[in-house]
Amino acid sequence: MNPTSRKKALRHFFGKVVEPLGFKFTPDAELAEFLLDQEVALEAKHGVPFCPCQPIRRDRARDMQIVCPCIPFHRKHFDAMKRCWCGLFVHEDVTDPDSLPQIPAKDLGLE
Amino acid sequence: MSDGFVRAIKAAEIAPGGMKAVELHGRELVICNCDGIFHAIDRRCGHMSSPLEMGTLDGSILTCAMHGAQFDVTTGEALSGPVPAYLGNETLPPRTGALLSHVGALMQHIRTESIGTYRVKVESEWVLVALS
Repeated sequence: MNPTSRKKALRHFFGKVVEPLGFKFTPDAELAEFLLDQEVALEAKHGVPFCPCQPIRRDRARDMQIVCPCIPFHRKHFDAMKRCWCGLFVHEDVTDPDSLPQIPAKDLGLE
Repeated sequence: MSDGFVRAIKAAEIAPGGMKAVELHGRELVICNCDGIFHAIDRRCGHMSSPLEMGTLDGSILTCAMHGAQFDVTTGEALSGPVPAYLGNETLPPRTGALLSHVGALMQHIRTESIGTYRVKVESEWVLVALS
């Protein structure tokens, strides 16, 4: 099995999770491929596809909240940014993902 | 049949999203109905030979019921190994740790291979499979 094969399955199942939440894969195809590559590598190392842009803390309860797609655990934060933290998913109406910066939750008054 | 296709099952016997195991000329296959398009694959999982019709079909991705290995039924391509993955460094409860460590050590050496696929067509209500 190669990373390309695994990415195909992740795309399929992630899409089913995020679409009902009002999100979609970023239109930036190159970024999406890069992030999925990292998730496949993280899955091979840790057994689950953690978000590639958030720290693994060795605290199971917290770490489970950064398993991709982690939108349900950070809904207010990601809805405010119209993207998830790493940018793999954006709100379904977003066409220009580069215009959406990362904003820490505390800067949005959410922590 | 002269073109290499043999009758496998009546199309109406498998609802969309369903699967059914058949045996054709001594060969075990699973016929999959992917939203009205039929595919035929080897019955045995490329991981540990479990019967794949007991798994779940989501679109064209079949997930084995035994350990969660996944395959694309249109190509036979392995998309995922077992879940959880056996990494060889799991922390286990002490009472079961010794046994599961042993099993995990064995499991991590098992590769998940892609599985065979077969040409399929539907004629006169029958799903036909080419075994050659």
